[in-house]
Amino acid sequence: MTPRQPASIRQEGKVFPIAFAKGFITIVAATLILVVLCLVFAPSSVSSGALAGSLPFASVLAIVGLGQMLVVQQGGFDLSVAGGVSLSVVLVTHYPAGDDAQLLPAILIALGCALLIGVCNSLLVGYMRLNAIVATIGVNALIYGGVFAVSGGVPRITTDLLATIAGGSLFGIGNAVVFAAVALGVVALIMKKTVMGRRFEAVGASPALAATIGLPVRRYQMLAYVFAQLLYCLAGILIAGLTTQPTAFQGDPLLLPSVAVVVLGGTSLLGGRGFPVSTVIAALFLNQLSQFSYAVGVPYSAQTIIQALALGFGIGIHSIRLPNKNKKLSTHSNLEETNETYVS
Amino acid sequence: MKLTSLKGQTALAAALMTLAVAGAAQAEVPSWCGPNQASLALLDGYGGNSWRLVTTASGAAEAALCPSITDYQYADGQGNTQKAISDIKGMAAKGVNALVVFGDAGPAVLPALKSAFGAGAVVVPYRVVVGGEEGKDYTKFVGSSFVDDGVSWGNWIKSILPDGGNVLFLSGPAGNSQGTDELAGMKQILDDKYVFINPEPFAVTNWDPALTQQVLSAEIAKNDKIDVIVSDFGPSLVGALPTFGKFNRSIPAIATSDGNSLGCFWEDNHGANPDFKLFTVATGNDNVRLAVQWAVASATGGTLPSEKIFKAPVFEDSVSGSPSAVQCRKDLPGSIYLSAVMSGDDQAAAVNK
Repeated sequence: MTPRQPASIRQEGKVFPIAFAKGFITIVAATLILVVLCLVFAPSSVSSGALAGSLPFASVLAIVGLGQMLVVQQGGFDLSVAGGVSLSVVLVTHYPAGDDAQLLPAILIALGCALLIGVCNSLLVGYMRLNAIVATIGVNALIYGGVFAVSGGVPRITTDLLATIAGGSLFGIGNAVVFAAVALGVVALIMKKTVMGRRFEAVGASPALAATIGLPVRRYQMLAYVFAQLLYCLAGILIAGLTTQPTAFQGDPLLLPSVAVVVLGGTSLLGGRGFPVSTVIAALFLNQLSQFSYAVGVPYSAQTIIQALALGFGIGIHSIRLPNKNKKLSTHSNLEETNETYVS
Repeated sequence: MKLTSLKGQTALAAALMTLAVAGAAQAEVPSWCGPNQASLALLDGYGGNSWRLVTTASGAAEAALCPSITDYQYADGQGNTQKAISDIKGMAAKGVNALVVFGDAGPAVLPALKSAFGAGAVVVPYRVVVGGEEGKDYTKFVGSSFVDDGVSWGNWIKSILPDGGNVLFLSGPAGNSQGTDELAGMKQILDDKYVFINPEPFAVTNWDPALTQQVLSAEIAKNDKIDVIVSDFGPSLVGALPTFGKFNRSIPAIATSDGNSLGCFWEDNHGANPDFKLFTVATGNDNVRLAVQWAVASATGGTLPSEKIFKAPVFEDSVSGSPSAVQCRKDLPGSIYLSAVMSGDDQAAAVNK
């Protein structure tokens, strides 16, 4: 028996279709404009070497963003991103202690821990109905307890094998980029092409309606936290490989950007439809924005302001109401790029 | 977390002190160790990297040299200013006689130091400037001469690039005083022939290896000619330096602080990178030893040390081999510092505990 859910904020009368999701158009346009700006003012930031250096980190952000997106789709927030990533960094560097043979067991332990944390989050939010922000921030503190218990706050140096896996390249494309592409493919396919994925979005869009038609709402909401942690774990493993001598707090700088890419990608913070492709493009956009700032050589203060303005603009544009020209609903499509957008 | 950390550190300290007592019953007691019994606490603002672990172990080892120190405690502020303040106040309230404080939060911890000092404890902040006045707000500030590090780097750069060149200087968080002091030191030596290609005063990396890597790839892409990279945390470069390979360029000369991982990286890569020369100053783990000496001397009635400021010695120079050639111990963890007084094996034990 599923409890009654609060009514969705959306109203049927305010739903209207457009050819492409607004979030997708916005972020693609913004990224293209940025690339043009880079080509004109800072060509070095789009050189192949610069991209080879920065794209792996964009990939990490993209993977973390996909995890956060799943949670946001269910109307939640996952503030345990930082802890989840940091714990996996610590686990995959501490246990092997430079020994390649120990890497696989360490990765399995990290995945096991991620599952456990995901279940913990999902029980607190999905079953005990705690506020997602409060629950995940608490779990984050618990995870950091684990980080200290394992490592004393100091990860060891990455094994050579992990450095090769994360930092190497396949046909000129960084392995980290490949991992992000695979993660995107899996998330997008499951979300858009499977019954489970469609139900997952339906539950996020309107838990009350989903409950009415008999969907196990809680189970879908709980699944989001578990899959999110698995994605954070993957991101942590990649960071451990990319940075060689990581810190124990490598996840901290990812918390805000993880939410930013979700919002820039067009996923509503109130839950509902998710936009995995747009989220990944948003990660590329944020990464390129940093590279642009570095290449132009603006002071650090200006870099921060530029990024904040871009974020403000990106988030602000989603709250602009477009005139409702179409009165009738178009056929629903599963494809992100041709989805209708809800503007409330 | 705090309890675990306290337990671990106390156990380590106890072990070290037992060793010291057992093994060195006849060992000479240093002059800074006076006859009066006292308890000592080492308070870290942030203890989460290998440098801090080695530094903490070095502080404990130094305290263990003095039999008059009856109790040794450690607390880690974990990068949280409020916790660091509460740790200082808590130790003072427990009646600990001498506090050695790494005041990461700077002047924010000054009121807590002042209140501990007012309550009668010996208070010795070290390395990070906390403001205030010696004798009024705390007993003694044992600083580190980052300007001297800058001078050492400047002299070396001048020796390998007498006709000038492009310098890329990377430091930690924006505006940190260590970076600005180091820059001032370098500018004393390097004239206009040496162009700093980073944004003024230094490229911000937060000492975060991931950010270092991103900043470095942007700078490499932007600048066709980088003759020397200066960084005040050498080991954070190890993950970033292979970026030069992606641009088909040789790693340039590096002036920085030491670390076992960096030394081993140089050993493995200097053959394929003809421009890769390495010069390091000691990372400065032993700054804590001088601070402990001041605190113990003040608390136990010993002779105050003559040194008032810690000057990190030059450690490795791959060009001259003096005072030391580049060192690498592949059998030990990369995250130790062979420049420290504490032996590599003891550091490995501290880091791998």
